[in-house]
Amino acid sequence: MVISVNNLTKQVPALDSSSGTMLDILKGVNLEIKPAETIAIVGASGSGKSTLLGLLAGLDQASSGEVILAGQSLNKMDEDGRAALRGEKVGFVFQSFQLLAGLTALENVMLPLELQSKSSARDDAVALLTRVGLAERLQHYPKQLSGGEQQRVAIARAFVTAPTILFADEPTGNLDKVTSKNIIDLLFEMNREKKTTLVIVTHDENLAQKCERCLLLENGVLNND
Amino acid sequence: MTKHFLLAARLLVRDWRAGELKVLLLALLIAVASVTSTGLFTQRINRGMNDQAGQFLGADLLLKSPQLTDQSVINYAQRAGLGITKSISFSSVIVAHDEFQLTHIKAVDQHYPLLSQIKISAQLYGDERPVNYGPAAGEVWLAPRLFSLLNLKIGDKIELGETELQVAAVLKHDPGQASSFVTIAPHLLMNIQDVAKTAVIQPGSRVTYLTGFAGELKARKQFEKWLAPRLSGSQRLVGGTEGSQAVNSAMDKAGQYLSLASMLSVMLSGIAIAMTANRYGQRHFDQAALMRCMGASQKTIIRIFSMQLFILGVIGSLLGCLAGYLTQQGLMILLKDLLVTELPGAGVYPLISGFVAGFVTLSGFSLPALLRLKSVSPLRVLRNDIAPLTISSWFVYGLAVCSMVVLMWWQSGQLKLTLLVLAGVMVSVTMLFILSLLLIYLSRLILPGLSGPWKTGLLQIVRNQKSNQLQMLAFGLSLMILMIIFLIRTDLIHRWQDQLPDKAPNHFVINIQNDEVKAVQQFFAEHGIATEGLYPMVRGRIVKINNKDILDVAEDKTKLDESLKRELNLSWSKQIQANNKLLEGQWWSAADDGKAVISIEKGLARRLQVDIGDDLAFRIADQHISATIKSIRSVQWDSFQPNFYIIFPENVINEFPLSYISSFYLEPAKKKTLNQLIKNFPTLTVLEIDVIMQQVKSIMSQVTTAVEYVMLFVLFAGMMVLVAAMQSGMDERMNAAVVMRTLGAKKAFLRRSQFAEFSLLGLFAGVLAVSGTEIIAYLLYSKVFELYFELHLSLWIYGPLLSVCLILIISGFYMNKVIKQSPVKALRYA
Ligand SMILES: Nc1ncnc2c1ncn2[C@@H]1O[C@H](COP(=O)(O)OP(=O)(O)O)[C@@H](O)[C@H]1O
Ligand SMILES: [Mg+2]
Repeated sequence: MVISVNNLTKQVPALDSSSGTMLDILKGVNLEIKPAETIAIVGASGSGKSTLLGLLAGLDQASSGEVILAGQSLNKMDEDGRAALRGEKVGFVFQSFQLLAGLTALENVMLPLELQSKSSARDDAVALLTRVGLAERLQHYPKQLSGGEQQRVAIARAFVTAPTILFADEPTGNLDKVTSKNIIDLLFEMNREKKTTLVIVTHDENLAQKCERCLLLENGVLNND
Repeated sequence: MTKHFLLAARLLVRDWRAGELKVLLLALLIAVASVTSTGLFTQRINRGMNDQAGQFLGADLLLKSPQLTDQSVINYAQRAGLGITKSISFSSVIVAHDEFQLTHIKAVDQHYPLLSQIKISAQLYGDERPVNYGPAAGEVWLAPRLFSLLNLKIGDKIELGETELQVAAVLKHDPGQASSFVTIAPHLLMNIQDVAKTAVIQPGSRVTYLTGFAGELKARKQFEKWLAPRLSGSQRLVGGTEGSQAVNSAMDKAGQYLSLASMLSVMLSGIAIAMTANRYGQRHFDQAALMRCMGASQKTIIRIFSMQLFILGVIGSLLGCLAGYLTQQGLMILLKDLLVTELPGAGVYPLISGFVAGFVTLSGFSLPALLRLKSVSPLRVLRNDIAPLTISSWFVYGLAVCSMVVLMWWQSGQLKLTLLVLAGVMVSVTMLFILSLLLIYLSRLILPGLSGPWKTGLLQIVRNQKSNQLQMLAFGLSLMILMIIFLIRTDLIHRWQDQLPDKAPNHFVINIQNDEVKAVQQFFAEHGIATEGLYPMVRGRIVKINNKDILDVAEDKTKLDESLKRELNLSWSKQIQANNKLLEGQWWSAADDGKAVISIEKGLARRLQVDIGDDLAFRIADQHISATIKSIRSVQWDSFQPNFYIIFPENVINEFPLSYISSFYLEPAKKKTLNQLIKNFPTLTVLEIDVIMQQVKSIMSQVTTAVEYVMLFVLFAGMMVLVAAMQSGMDERMNAAVVMRTLGAKKAFLRRSQFAEFSLLGLFAGVLAVSGTEIIAYLLYSKVFELYFELHLSLWIYGPLLSVCLILIISGFYMNKVIKQSPVKALRYA
């Protein structure tokens, strides 16, 4: 298993947190994900999808339960430990792309490699940007790129470290239909080429259907769709 | 470590390209340049003053003693590598053509003068020629007036005691002249080998042995330290820095002003740095979150951002040092024609201290913003609303205040001024804060009555109260500092100019006899010479304070105040002199005529520890007279007008032997009139201080220039704060504009409402600044600079106006961007 989740819960302080009441977002999630699998998590807006993704990726800490990511229990690690694990095994794609506006496309893709002090950072980044069809746009800044192009850069950045698992939070949420399709195709091509596990949170029917498994998050628990 | 360093450097380069760092770096550069160039300039002027003082004395240090200087002193100085010259100064009568003249004589050895040069000429009115040796044995050089008094020409012989000496040159200028500022008789220079032959020096004669020393500063300091405790009560060491009182007092104030201005420019730069660093930090939350997401540990984040800070600090400080050096160098070139003597070069210390100052400022003001990046949660990549922990404001402000205190104190060496400035700034920030609350409250009141763009503009201010208040404070504070610096500069320079107008008196005339007063006045009138008035003068010594002998009052005779060891010039007057100011007590009325009361100068009163109602007893010509202090005056010693420690009313000391004193301005071209004056009135003595005056003026003009250009740094730093404040509100304004555009607002409407918003902001900031300025200026004027304070009414008009214009101009650069923002962007980045 790449990921196994055991009875995971997450509580957050309710909006009027003065009263001290807690809001249960996740009420006991169980999940097993095999290597190279593609999984879609769907659910209404506000149902806790992003929260779940954050917990799976070790960005956040669960209230109870366990997440084992690439064979390591996240609960037993501190933030820096989880960070190291993320750097090694995990890639991310976000709805709002999260590219750094001050960096060119190439520099954005190089950043994760530079953090790992890879000497081949530039070559690897150029190769991936070429792979996602942006060989001509290396020196462009995010604001000079369309939404779809920006998401391609983000995908290149996510895959450049050759992660075991890729988490995508509504990767097509900000894109139009045609562009979305291209992005989806690209994601799955990459998945096939690199054998990367894909965990995608989405609203997008098309995207959900392309996944091997589709799970519905409702009332804080995961069900097969 | 190095890998992170390289990454930090690369990221920094990318940020620089994105324009994120320009204001930060510029603010840092200005702070460093200001500290550096002020330091360099002050150091050079100070060294220059020392050198000029050396020219006054003919040596760096002068030991004056009634006995022959001890051989151990000479030995020590020799071992310290100092140059030494011995001379003897005394008064004696010289005889020529059967005429007698009391003359001030200085006998010098072959090393005289150690510094500077003697100026002589071969004929009475001939061209002068600098030489660096004194007269040969058997020869004398005489001051021009002796020639006319004794009807002499070059080559004649004069008698001095039991020997005859030959007149070999006209003595135009002796660098030791300033030390004989108080001596009265005309001047003669002779060789020390001839002194014994004259036999005028007998046991009991009043003689001053002068030993001059010159050499490296370090050796001098060491020598001074060694000598100080070994001096007897009757010996006096005249030091290099002891120039004339006028220069000292001007330099003190200028030094304080320069420190103040440089402190304030550093502080303003600090504020600009804090604001830009804060924005820089905020704009890097996403980057930090992303980097955490990609596996960077907290330590890595901290390391990368603090390395960036370090790189930025090095670059900014280096550039700042360079800019400071160049500015100062350029200024010297500009000043070249103004300076009488070339200023000596400066050391590297100001450069080093500027560099360190840059680092302290940068870390003190930007560290908190960067530390905050450490606590950015990686979850931010999913939930944009997660802001990192705020850093305790105690820490933020504490760090800034501490770094400022350390920096300002270290830079200026003036703890009092440092604390005063700091307290002033804190009080004014509080005050400005309260005022801004008031203004916003008022705005809310008038809001319902407005319409159109003005309403929208004011609404923006009221709605974004927090960030607008911050901007108002930043604007107001920097404008306030600019105004204060400008006001003080103007008042200081005016005061110096008033004090040393073009025609400030450059000659004193003393020993005018009672029966000559009319004739002397007439002489001046005939020759078109305006005097500062003739003042009566009686010489007297203070002998008792409150009926106690001064020798009993003082525990240690050698610690007796200088003024008690010699005769003072006493005077009387109906009115208080124009440049005096009554501080305590009352000036006398006609009823006080003949009463034994006095008015005393405040410095003397303080040194003698006496107050209104205390009695002083004087010995005047073998009589004793006791008088009660009725008032305390301040005296402008640096005015070059006759001034007196003690003044009586009329008819108290009028009957004592008296003479009159006056001072006047004489154009260089009219110098020959002096000979006429002396010929007509052989008993009077003229003190020529025109050379000193010239030097004083030259120093003043250097100082004035320094003052003016240090103000420029404050101006630049202030602009940086304005720009930084404008930038800090930019993101919010951008969003507001985008939303309004989406809701259908026309560009023109946006433009007008923004115009209104910034005009109002500028107006508010201007009002804040002017109010603050008046309060702080009042405190500074009365507590530090001793300047006269009055409300600056025109400031209430120009201040807010200037503020509005400045803010409109600066905002203009940014607002175009905001207005051109297409509404589509709103959708993309929502
Ligand atoms: N740290 C938190 N504090 C308060 N509320 C939170 C927190 N995290 C999530 N929530 C709330 O939990 C709910 C689920 O959020 P999210 O996981 O973003 O849903 P989704 O991604 O499915 O739209 C939302 O109502 C959100 O406001
Ligand atoms: Mg979500």
